[in-house]
Amino acid sequence: MSRNTPFTWILLMLSSLVLLFILAPLAGMFLHTGGSELLETVNDQEVRASIWLTIWVAFAATFFFAIGAIPLAWLLARKKFPMKNIVQGIIDLPVVLPHTAAGIAVLGFISRDGLLGKVANSVGLTLINNPAGIALAMAFVSIPFLINSARDGFAAVPERLEKAALSLGASRTRVLFTISLPLAWRSIMTGFVMMFARGMSEFGAVVIVAYHPMIAPVLIYERFSSFGLKYARPASVLFIIVALAVFILLRLIAIRKKETHIVPDAEA
Amino acid sequence: MLKLENISKKLGNFSLAEISMEIRNGEYYVLLGRSGSGKTQLLELIAGLNDPDSGKIWLDNEDITTKKIQERNIGLVFQDYAIFPNLTVFGNIAYSLRCKKTDKKVINNEVTRIAKELNISHLLNRFTNNLSGGELQRVALARTLITSPRLLLLDEPLASIDASLKDDIKRTFRQLNRKGLTIVHVTHDYSEAVILATRIGVIHNGRILQEGLPDDVFGKPVNRFVARYAGIRNFFRVKFRNEGRSWKAECNGNLVLNLPEGKYPEEGLIIIRSNAISIFKADPSNEAGNCFRGVVKELSPSEQGIELLVEAGEMFYVDVPMNDFKKLQITEASDVWISFPAEACIALPGGG
Repeated sequence: MSRNTPFTWILLMLSSLVLLFILAPLAGMFLHTGGSELLETVNDQEVRASIWLTIWVAFAATFFFAIGAIPLAWLLARKKFPMKNIVQGIIDLPVVLPHTAAGIAVLGFISRDGLLGKVANSVGLTLINNPAGIALAMAFVSIPFLINSARDGFAAVPERLEKAALSLGASRTRVLFTISLPLAWRSIMTGFVMMFARGMSEFGAVVIVAYHPMIAPVLIYERFSSFGLKYARPASVLFIIVALAVFILLRLIAIRKKETHIVPDAEA
Repeated sequence: MLKLENISKKLGNFSLAEISMEIRNGEYYVLLGRSGSGKTQLLELIAGLNDPDSGKIWLDNEDITTKKIQERNIGLVFQDYAIFPNLTVFGNIAYSLRCKKTDKKVINNEVTRIAKELNISHLLNRFTNNLSGGELQRVALARTLITSPRLLLLDEPLASIDASLKDDIKRTFRQLNRKGLTIVHVTHDYSEAVILATRIGVIHNGRILQEGLPDDVFGKPVNRFVARYAGIRNFFRVKFRNEGRSWKAECNGNLVLNLPEGKYPEEGLIIIRSNAISIFKADPSNEAGNCFRGVVKELSPSEQGIELLVEAGEMFYVDVPMNDFKKLQITEASDVWISFPAEACIALPGGG
């Protein structure tokens, strides 16, 4: 066992401070919320509906955008094309935008005058103040997490495995579904969970696109601004508990997939 | 028959240049070259993993230059085997049959048959993470052979295998070749070429330097590079001169070698195999050949016995069988005589 030098102690102390910084506010919130208040909130139909809305809309946004994001991630990992760096920059753009600005951008896109809004209107759908609009706002700010994680996963699959599959008579599609996707699965699932979690916790972009129906972060803000900290706290605690439970469940599903050892091209 | 016609391919700073070769059906062709010489790139062009910039590839009189990789029916075993880690051994071997949507019963029978042939039946239900190099090699081979390829390409197939398993794998390759399978095997190890090849090509910097039967390539290397590959360590830059009916080669004014009859240019390189030189404690009087007195400078173990470095005007590497070495009781600084026939001097006219 290595000796605990002063250097190790300093590292431990600094690390503990950071962890405490994350845990202390959460612990304080939980400790300040009584069981009866929490029970009352669980029975509050409005809170339950907003949490449920948050979860399913975030999941639907992640699921539907994954259909396009995963092929894009594969292209970024495998293909060389002009202006690839610019494409990569565009994908990362939502991460650096202020979320309210992202909300304004999405609102412009889905309002009646916007490109997507006009198309939706033509089939009788209004995206503003609609779960579909909320999903778009959530996806806008969270999709880089899925694309980047999936891209790293595909990049870690040795190309020679794909070449071997081709030489054995597999079509490109078959190689994608039998070799590339299964081997990149872990990273894709991690990206999926991260995108879902990020979408679920989004406030800034969503509040601009849809104040109603209220997702949980908007409801918490509304309770805080209308009734104060005491009333916002139980809803926050409940949302955190549910979000954590869903997050852990999805992580477990992702981890359950059998771990495979991949030898990268460089080692081969 | 596989035929390459003026194949060129640029890959970054490296390029394969105007490669032409013919490999007849049933041959065991070994392509010998250092890492980075272009041998793997050439295999990938034949397999269809990359397209050449120019030139044509023919297989059994069919132009396959632009044919889809899936339709070439050429088996390729990768250097690191490229076994799919997400599939079991069975799944790996059955992969190509599943691509063709073959009936499950047929797949089972075929996989069982080929696994039995390659002694890997006991591994079929295992995942591949913990298999040894030899086992992975057999799985990769089974996975390729189940496609009944017209041509089998092996990329450094023995490079990652324990020495103890190499003989088994070599025997398997030889048996496959005896059954009629045409094999192209690329390697950097000339001993593999000596043991397995019916024909050899030596590739360097993207060019084929020499092709032919193993005896021709190793016995008459066309240049210094090929000679080095053939394990030759005695190289002498010489000036050739004609004295009456006999030819001599003068090396830096230190040494004059008797050469066999033939035609020689003014200058060139002489190579002498270290196992073609005999060693004596006294003057063996080899007047027709070459005989020089020298001093042993170094002793080191070799495959046959002991390799001596003898200073006799020039430095000569001499391979001595262990029995002879013990009989002669040679030590460092021993005075010795080295002798070799004129025919042991092989002239490389261009100098390599």
